Amino acid sequence: MIIEILFPEVCNLYGDLANIKYLKECVPTATIIETSLKTTPHFVDSKVDLIYMGTTTEAGIKLSVEALSPYKDKLKALIDDGQFILLTGNALDVFGNYIDIKDDDTKIDCLGIINTHSEYHMMKRHNSFYIGEFKDMEIVGFKSIFGHTYEDGNDQEGWFKTTKGFGQNPDKNMEGFKLNNLYATYLIGPLLPLNPPLTKWLLEELGEAKDIAFEEAAVNAYKQRLIEFKNEHFDAAY
Amino acid sequence: MSKLKFLLGLWAGKLSVPALKITHHNGTDYPGQLAVKFCPDFLKYIGRPKKLVIITGTNGKTTVNNMLIDILEDNGLKVFNNRAGSNITTGISTVFIKGSNIFGKLKKLDLAVLEVDERSAPKIYPYLNPDYVVITNLSRDSILRNAHPQYIADVLTKAIPENTKMILNADDLISGNVALNNKRAYFGINKLPEDENNTYDGLLNDMQICPKCAGKLKYNYIRYNHIGNAVCEDCGFNSPIADYAITAIDYENEKMTVEENGEKYIYPLITDSMFNIYNLITVISIGRELGLTHEELIKSMSKTKIPGSRHSEDKAGSIRLITQMAKEKNASATTRAFDYVSKIDGPREVLLMMNCLNDTKHWSENPCWMYDTDFELLAQDGIKKIICAGARNTDYRLRLLMAGVPDSKIVCCESEMEAATKLSYDKNDIICLFHGVDSTKLAMEVKAKILELASSKEGKS
Repeated sequence: MIIEILFPEVCNLYGDLANIKYLKECVPTATIIETSLKTTPHFVDSKVDLIYMGTTTEAGIKLSVEALSPYKDKLKALIDDGQFILLTGNALDVFGNYIDIKDDDTKIDCLGIINTHSEYHMMKRHNSFYIGEFKDMEIVGFKSIFGHTYEDGNDQEGWFKTTKGFGQNPDKNMEGFKLNNLYATYLIGPLLPLNPPLTKWLLEELGEAKDIAFEEAAVNAYKQRLIEFKNEHFDAAY
Repeated sequence: MSKLKFLLGLWAGKLSVPALKITHHNGTDYPGQLAVKFCPDFLKYIGRPKKLVIITGTNGKTTVNNMLIDILEDNGLKVFNNRAGSNITTGISTVFIKGSNIFGKLKKLDLAVLEVDERSAPKIYPYLNPDYVVITNLSRDSILRNAHPQYIADVLTKAIPENTKMILNADDLISGNVALNNKRAYFGINKLPEDENNTYDGLLNDMQICPKCAGKLKYNYIRYNHIGNAVCEDCGFNSPIADYAITAIDYENEKMTVEENGEKYIYPLITDSMFNIYNLITVISIGRELGLTHEELIKSMSKTKIPGSRHSEDKAGSIRLITQMAKEKNASATTRAFDYVSKIDGPREVLLMMNCLNDTKHWSENPCWMYDTDFELLAQDGIKKIICAGARNTDYRLRLLMAGVPDSKIVCCESEMEAATKLSYDKNDIICLFHGVDSTKLAMEVKAKILELASSKEGKS
């Protein structure tokens, strides 16, 4: 299995890179390719099983868009062909249409692969925990973001169905986006270590081992979190 | 109308001061809260001191603030300050309410030194128009509040008036790039012999690319996080040269050499921690900018102490207990604390209880910070056992496993007090207790229990 991490020198906030570290623990033979902003992505000329991008700074979003823009058509073609891509946190915004920064009325143009735009309020941070459903799994996670994402049409499929917490925006039940095998979520950080069932599912989709690393410990932590998240006295918003 | 609102706020705040005293309430923020309620831009109308220095940054701002005030006062200056109050808008407003007359005019003082929380900058700097803004450093802090260091750098850049002079850390390229158009002076620590081996390769480098061309930076050395000296091989960008630089440290004789404009000065070394040595050179650089001579600074610094440590040590027979506070949800502080313990020689056992107790009452703590923290530093032979305690014990366990710690060394325990009973208390053990800020009180109880159990075990052996 070959996993390409896009721009880990800037897309490395909030422990997001632990997702790939965990996959490597699950599949020790996996090859991890780290592509930097100034190099040609591996997916351009070679087969990659999974492309991953994690949370970055606002400057990092601009740099990532700039670095990927020459390969936008290639990315679209790969997605049409079923390429697996996982995006966590604001990496989702890199693939959206644009980011509207409300505080100073500025706009960051993005790749336009997912038909959505985001609205940021830089002095209002949204913090919440999250429970959602995907297939027969319960998904847990956290959001720490400057805003929400708003669909620019009705042609996008969401990823998770929200049962507690916030979807793409406060008015939407669906969280994240799914475009063939591109999976994008606003959930930040170690999504896979926190969700052993999701890790198992992803590895199966990628044709890899069904056993996941540290399964008993990961399942214990996952179950404990579900109990806490479902506590009716706990609001999802921080 | 605005001026009337200001006066109402000022008077309400002033009246609340004796009221708080009579009712035995501490309320360092309350007068300011009242004033800001009446007049949201209260600080815009309050009297301005003759000279104003603001100190901010992720780590060290309280230490620098307190040391600087001590040194300035030792040199006969009257300093208006907020060392007894909070460092957010309402706390700063409270200080001004107490220090002004009923029309908002400040008492005659030589200068003001204020410690200000980074995120409060937009509501303070444009109104108070500081002469100097000092940034100790910017590194990862609470994900929930401070997002990432570059975000804080942007918040500061937008808030700092263009006539303010910046005093910045030359070894921190994040804070070093704040308010680039402003006049600036840099402090730093030049390459030391021990830097030959300093090549930190952990999770916490937030400055991996060149701020000019986005090329990958090459670090000549890194002391911790992104604190060090870098060059961009693509465009030639370099870390700035420090105007006030420590050029040599003599730990044995407790002296350090400070260089300014090619002249060397010998200062007392009142700490051996690199963190605090950075705080010393920060204070020296501010003192110099304010016009103190090196002789005056040296004389005052030799009388100064680094205030209250987050670290304490105790002994029970042959067992040593190290208690270390590592601010909860803060990967940077926790990594530094782990780094310290990882370098100690001898058999160690670790008790982790850094989770946020306040969160457990109404929320489920976000553990993302753990995956930014170098738990890998705890994966070493000398560490025999790690007790994971509190609400996040299962998260600690998974993170430790991913860091390479064998499961056989990990013990999970929900109760922090019970966790104390899970330690081995073998002869010559070094027990390392890590706790957060809001778990300090509980940690002191756990510490007492550990010392009791250690004494009892040692007594029997």
